[in-house]
Amino acid sequence: MAKARALDRRRRSVKNIRKITRTMELIATARFKKAMDRSVAARDYTSRLTKILHNIARSGAGIVHPLLDVRPTKRAAVLVLTGNRGLCGGYNSNTIRQSMGVLGQWRSEGVSSHVAVSGKRGISALKFRGINMAEHYTTFDDKPDFEAVQQIGAGYLAAYAAGEIDRLDVVYTQFHSIARQSAETETLLPLKPPEPVGELAQATRASQEYEFFPFAESILEEILPASFLSRLFKCFLDAAVSEQVARMVAMKAATENAGGLIKDLSRRYNRARQSQITGEIMEILGGVEALKS
Amino acid sequence: MSDSKTTGSQPDGSATGLRCIIVTPESTVLDVRAQFVALPLFDGQRGVGRGHAPFIGRLGSGEVRIIGDQAAAEGTVIRTFVEGGFVEVGHDSVTIITQRAIPSNKIDAEQARLDFEKVHAAVATGDEAIAAKMQAEETARAKLRAAQNAQ
Repeated sequence: MAKARALDRRRRSVKNIRKITRTMELIATARFKKAMDRSVAARDYTSRLTKILHNIARSGAGIVHPLLDVRPTKRAAVLVLTGNRGLCGGYNSNTIRQSMGVLGQWRSEGVSSHVAVSGKRGISALKFRGINMAEHYTTFDDKPDFEAVQQIGAGYLAAYAAGEIDRLDVVYTQFHSIARQSAETETLLPLKPPEPVGELAQATRASQEYEFFPFAESILEEILPASFLSRLFKCFLDAAVSEQVARMVAMKAATENAGGLIKDLSRRYNRARQSQITGEIMEILGGVEALKS
Repeated sequence: MSDSKTTGSQPDGSATGLRCIIVTPESTVLDVRAQFVALPLFDGQRGVGRGHAPFIGRLGSGEVRIIGDQAAAEGTVIRTFVEGGFVEVGHDSVTIITQRAIPSNKIDAEQARLDFEKVHAAVATGDEAIAAKMQAEETARAKLRAAQNAQ
């Protein structure tokens, strides 16, 4: 009986785990949808900023700004975006691996780096690897707040303007589609002027001649930091969406795996129970035969 | 929302009024048809009606007043407080791109007054700090004014 009972106990605990993973999958799905909506809503701002930048470029004003200047890197800032929680497949480990690559590269080039990490998982992993972190944040979850991102961004802009950093790389998980997300390193500073995209490019061609108030350069001075902040915000949003997708997929796989385990355990349990019953019948028959003789 | 509607430079004869859109990094806050829009540019107010010459301007802190389209709701005024940003005016569209937009009637007037007093009382030394203080004070004052107007 002992074996069958142990199998039954295991089957029950696997069933409980399956309930938990199934719930986590559903929660991640709901959060993913919300995060995705936020990410889509934020796209409009970026595309309109880009459109204005193109209009400025078309007006003949040279796009010259300290944020666009590429200078030799003496001190690089690296911002790593990970999750606060695990159970999301390779999401955190991929980002951490990518960030270790970036940090290793800076070290081999003799460039000192200023490391900031968002997410408990990333903080503990980098601490374990002996990386000195200048900043860490644990407040970003599935709904990154623009104001909080703006504060971080303003800090980087000030440091860049003061010459304390010469470059900013953000390591995060880019969201391509539900089926594909990849850990990427994006250089946000110095800023790259954005490329025109499809519909916008056509719109620019047909667009009217604009007047600028007060003048194009002054608008450029304001628009480039805004463009930087919106890109940084996009990284946070992408990371949030990717984390939820990763958790959704991981929990779906865990639920399916638990289902398989339960099936296997049930089969073994039934077999054990059956053989036990057969054994007992044999014992009774043996006893009857013994009494007869 | 399709971009083609807003970026189309040809004035559409059948439509009346302007399309007014307010976009923040988090979402599109407002998308309405309007008759007239008063914008807080960096150096003062500017009114825009249909057929205004296209321009791109820097915004200061202040209130955007949108007078509703006759067809939609005559004379309705939508007041929204914006904190800096840009405006792009086309022939039949006004797009406001700002980092923060709050409907004026949702601003807590008491809190706005306290914020203004706090900024006003702060002591700033050095050119940069003074400039930052002036900027913050202007924003706080504009916010307070927007809250008072809404009451």
